[in-house]
Amino acid sequence: MDPDDVVADPNPHQSDSTPGAAPSQLAQMRSLTLEVSNDAAGAEQPAGNRSLPADFYETADEIEVTEKGSRLAGGLAGSASRGEPEDWRERSELDGEVLPSPSSSGYAGERGSIGGSNGIEGEADDGGPSLPDDWGRGKRHLDEDDASISWRNRKKHFFILSHSGKPIYSRYGDEHKLAGFSATLQAIISFVENGGDCIKFVRAGNHQVIFLVKGPIYLVCISCTEEPYEALKRQLELIYSQLLLILTKSVDRCFEKNPKFDMTPLLSGTDEVFSSLCHAFSWNPATFLHAYTCLPLAYSTRQAASAILQDVADSGVLFALLMCKHKVVSLSGAQKASLHPDDMLLLANFVISTESFRTSESFSPMCLPRYNPMVFLYVYIHFLDVDTYLMLLSTSSDSFYHLKDCRIHIETVLVKSNVLSEVQRSLLHSGLHVEDLPVDFSLRSGSLPHHLAMEKAIPDISSSHVGVGGPSGLWHFIYKSVNLDQYVSSEFSSPLSGSTRRKRLIRAYQKLYFSMHDKRTGPHKTQFRRDEDYVLLCWITQDFELYAAFDPLAEKAIAIKTCNRVCQWVRDVENEIFLFGAAPFSCPYPFLRGAVLSDLLRMKGFVLHYHILISDHCTK
Amino acid sequence: MGCSSSFPDRNAGRLASLNSESSTAPESKNLRVKLVLLGDSGVGKSCIVIRFVRGQFDPTSQVTVGASFLSQTLALQDSTTVKFEIWDTAGQERYASLAPLYYRGAAVAVVVYDITSPDTFKKAQYWVKELQKHATPGIIMALVGNKADLHENRAVSSEDALEYADNNGMFFIETSAKTADNINNLFEEIAKRLP
Repeated sequence: MDPDDVVADPNPHQSDSTPGAAPSQLAQMRSLTLEVSNDAAGAEQPAGNRSLPADFYETADEIEVTEKGSRLAGGLAGSASRGEPEDWRERSELDGEVLPSPSSSGYAGERGSIGGSNGIEGEADDGGPSLPDDWGRGKRHLDEDDASISWRNRKKHFFILSHSGKPIYSRYGDEHKLAGFSATLQAIISFVENGGDCIKFVRAGNHQVIFLVKGPIYLVCISCTEEPYEALKRQLELIYSQLLLILTKSVDRCFEKNPKFDMTPLLSGTDEVFSSLCHAFSWNPATFLHAYTCLPLAYSTRQAASAILQDVADSGVLFALLMCKHKVVSLSGAQKASLHPDDMLLLANFVISTESFRTSESFSPMCLPRYNPMVFLYVYIHFLDVDTYLMLLSTSSDSFYHLKDCRIHIETVLVKSNVLSEVQRSLLHSGLHVEDLPVDFSLRSGSLPHHLAMEKAIPDISSSHVGVGGPSGLWHFIYKSVNLDQYVSSEFSSPLSGSTRRKRLIRAYQKLYFSMHDKRTGPHKTQFRRDEDYVLLCWITQDFELYAAFDPLAEKAIAIKTCNRVCQWVRDVENEIFLFGAAPFSCPYPFLRGAVLSDLLRMKGFVLHYHILISDHCTK
Repeated sequence: MGCSSSFPDRNAGRLASLNSESSTAPESKNLRVKLVLLGDSGVGKSCIVIRFVRGQFDPTSQVTVGASFLSQTLALQDSTTVKFEIWDTAGQERYASLAPLYYRGAAVAVVVYDITSPDTFKKAQYWVKELQKHATPGIIMALVGNKADLHENRAVSSEDALEYADNNGMFFIETSAKTADNINNLFEEIAKRLP
């Protein structure tokens, strides 16, 4: 691939502000001017896109995601044109996603109304990381079924059903009342299967219906959130993996014995686990990044935790994980055993969303689908404080007393070495704030925070930057280290306050991620995109992936420079934001890598040319 | 009797004396007893344990996953202390096949049902049979009808339960974790029956 090529999302609908499209056979070259990109005309689908060759649309066909909704609804970010329609959109989506409801567990809480204090979102306004705990033990509306208007208005449904059409799980409504609906879904799937084919998705108006067949278990998502097909498919994969975590893949045998097997009793009491996962799709980047994130800690603090975890891992514990909410404090594994980020995500989701783990130490069988989907591991779980919990995994069902003993040992060491108090402090005060992005790297040794955990002594600093964010209009970034399978996400700056905006940004990143990793046209190296909400810049190298969001009026050249500074910043503090030693870690990034992006996105006056490579979709 | 006898190979030494039996004190006996609670989902096993261990009752308490481990020491009149190491198991069907994990080596099994639900009483009988087949011989078994405060909705009569308990060599008691009624009695009665 020509390094001068700036490769962009192949989907014409997704690229904003692309007035002139010059079709060619394999590559689409379009020019983007900074002036025009701010024009309101950019909000409409440029006529030029309609004249793209047919093969282009073939690609678009499968992952057709129009942004019409968001474009028409949203005005220029931050401007007065942001009006009613958007509010309506947010609200209705919200309605679809966060209304809590009684569960089937018998402890039906009276939580049937919109939970949020702001009246728009049912989610707590502080959004993101703190959400999993406080977004309300939201369960599903058991009173709903497919005849209810409220049910039909939900933005995103997930269903699990058996190959005989028996409902297993529904995100909203009582599964048993949805038997007819499940049977319909099953009929669609088996109709296509009978033709020797496999149905992937159906588009119906604003809705996408996505199907995933996993042996005798079918998963279906019905969504009008405009997320890409790959993203929704990935979400179904995670839901399936969560099911395996609870039951292992050996449940398939139940269907072999009895095709009409009813699986719902086996999942009783796990509603919360699944609804928490569905919720994570809209706030947790780990759901699409295939990476985990660490709690920022001074290097020596994390080392102290790692050392003691490694001790127990050497004593016959398969994996030892110390986590704080959804962030890793430290982890270690026996011998060559390695833990997949997806398994960590699902494990943490299961533990955090299961209230009983908080009451006392627990010992429970769980399956790590990426480790071995067929067998249970035995997991010892203990909450060391409200947010921090230790998980010790063993292959032996007899290991409880050993694991308990390990925990006592670990806890003693962690308390003595102040790791737990540091963890609490970090939780409250640390994190990468875009406002702190160092300005000049020639001075960086003097200007950098040396200990992130200590850095934010004044937690409300961001509120003094209302509507500003970081330098050069930087609002947010996610940096993923490919080698480490870890990412770091900046704290949300003030332009992104409120969970609706955060959710929208996470969705934008998700779309960016899947367009960059599109198997037919990618993988791509860089993408620059501007819409009413943000400027998004993505840069992927073999070592890292950077996703950054800027003010929609940010200048491209400056945005690129800022990204280079972000990368440098992350490298400078990597000892505190990443966990080293859990995976073989290759030599850090070449010092001059920052210059490469400038080369890639070489500026020519105010006009930047970039190519869309459509590499192999013609063969598809 | 005694606790789980199968320790993992390594590090077993570090565990000091987790095996039940008595400590060395010559006069007062200090017993350590492994106790397992079994029963259908939602009958209140966790509530009984939390009431006994912490003196609390949480009406919104959540479904147990796998099994929770709690311990509580009970001082008897004869200056004996009994430390109960309690396995509070999950009532869900998916964990049924894993129950042996928890009741193996247990000295006491408490089988709980909900007096307002005949189904849970049937489930209790299932657990009794399973214990008779697979548990440690000589295990002390208690049959507990919980939610006794809901007596106006009673669907399982005390007489039936008592008769069943007698026929199976168990002792029977009705409790209410909500009002704390008979919770301590239950564990005291168990302690009295210990060898």
